[in-house]
Amino acid sequence: MTDLSVRIGGLTLPNPVMPASGTFAEGLAQAIDLNRLGALVTKTITRELRAGNPLPRVAEVAGGMLNAIGIPSKGVAYFRDVTLPLYRGWSPPLVVSISAPTAEGFAELAAEISLPGVAAIEANISCPNIEEDGRAFAMKPASTAIVVRQLRAATALPLWVKLTPNTGEIAEVAKAAEAEGADALVCANTILAMAIDPHSFKPRLGNLLGGLSGPAIKPIVLRQLYQCARAVRLPIIGCGGIMTALDAVEYLLAGAVAVQIGTATFLDSAAMPNIIDGLDRFCDARGLASVSELTGAIRHEETDEEDLSWLSPPT
Amino acid sequence: MPCQQEALVTANYPLTGDYWLVEIDSPEIAGSLRPGQFVNIRVSGGPSTFFRRPFSVYRVSADRTRLQVAYKLVGEGTRLMSTTLPAGARCDIIGPLGKGFSIPPRARRIAVVGRGIGIAALPTLMDEAVGQGIEVHGFISARDPANLVAADIFSEHGCSLITHTDTEQPGGLVTDHLSALLSQIPFDAFYVCGSNRLVRAVHRMALRTGVPAEAAMEQHMACGFGDCHGCVIEVNKDMLGTSKAFREVCHHGPVFNTWEVVDGRA
Repeated sequence: MTDLSVRIGGLTLPNPVMPASGTFAEGLAQAIDLNRLGALVTKTITRELRAGNPLPRVAEVAGGMLNAIGIPSKGVAYFRDVTLPLYRGWSPPLVVSISAPTAEGFAELAAEISLPGVAAIEANISCPNIEEDGRAFAMKPASTAIVVRQLRAATALPLWVKLTPNTGEIAEVAKAAEAEGADALVCANTILAMAIDPHSFKPRLGNLLGGLSGPAIKPIVLRQLYQCARAVRLPIIGCGGIMTALDAVEYLLAGAVAVQIGTATFLDSAAMPNIIDGLDRFCDARGLASVSELTGAIRHEETDEEDLSWLSPPT
Repeated sequence: MPCQQEALVTANYPLTGDYWLVEIDSPEIAGSLRPGQFVNIRVSGGPSTFFRRPFSVYRVSADRTRLQVAYKLVGEGTRLMSTTLPAGARCDIIGPLGKGFSIPPRARRIAVVGRGIGIAALPTLMDEAVGQGIEVHGFISARDPANLVAADIFSEHGCSLITHTDTEQPGGLVTDHLSALLSQIPFDAFYVCGSNRLVRAVHRMALRTGVPAEAAMEQHMACGFGDCHGCVIEVNKDMLGTSKAFREVCHHGPVFNTWEVVDGRA
């Protein structure tokens, strides 16, 4: 029996597997036992009521999907009075994802939802579907620093900052978030993308642009997480195209302490419990006492281990 | 409660016209499925078939151990369904999902209206209604006679059936026939699936007669659970159509009242 618990800043999770924001709601309780999860992560909440984007909102592509849902939100009062009491019925720590159009808006919202029962705040400064042309705070270190500084001042709760893969300077963005007091990073969000129907000549999303997720993006986001892990000391949660326990292992080896699962749940509602079981078996088979031993365990050096040594290039 | 399983395929063959029929052994899903609910089937093997495919259930066996899905060969996903799920294969299926049709208490006769693949949502309702002793009148339309799927089920139950095909009767709608019967037959409910024009026409008749009408709707889905908000349609929040909201087809539907889905100006 492996110790699957992980520490993320001041928070201890029973295991490193949790839903990615936006892909999870209480409907999943019809299919799996939510108490098995490492944490529960809400859909992104905004202060303003948002209806969401025009139709169609999802499209499938090779190895993944596009979405431009547009963060439908029922606002803070609904979260406080309906969602939060409902989620108190489950044991995993509740992480609340928030978004706002300005740094001040982020700070006000963070203060408003710093309520008993909320274990951490995940600041979604990376959704490609809110701002025009897919822009987001997390594309640049300077705008990241401004919003994280305001968030840090507004709440005492653990602050997770969700990065965007749509940047050429993700390590610098990660450093900016760390310098301004983030407790953890989530790497990353969907990759800005589009698709056109060659028969109708129409874009396949009502919003034209959307976010790509699924196995197609895993190697890209894995690389970005590795770059962040080298740049900062903060715990990092991997999120991008994880379908199996071995995908999760890859992220841990690259430096993640935990993982978020999104698109996989759409295809297989039991994806998260299956990945938890798979991590347990993997660690057992490798003789690891704790899953956290995998974090950052990527091997760069030559090895003499029988099954691996022939892969090592001659030095 | 929906269940996900690797269920045994017991048959998969061409039905009529562009339609195929796959039969799946699943007492868990077939046993609890209500008319109008759907199943979500995983199709693998294609480079770009990523999502599951939602399908209405065509029929449930009398002993409620097997379910049938009638599907139209449209794209890569449905072509793969016809080739990768032969009898004896395992099919990754989730169901029953969504909210189905409701039959008003004490209903004595109902009209079911469908076009194309939308007809495939009606036989489970027909079976249920006939089982309750309700008289079912069918009105179905398709591009050509070969695509009038389910016509045999109407005759099996001895239900009246009026068909309308684009090739034989260009112009007009199958609902024209229903409209002409309204003064003679007091229907207690209308059900429609398969075309927005038909939904609007049925809704107008519902308004005229004061009878409830329901429409089964379709939308591309990512999760089928109500988690992703991907499969929404815009609906009226009240019968006057003064305010609108997005509702997920997968769990608020797929069956809606026609007043929810028809624009107030119709």
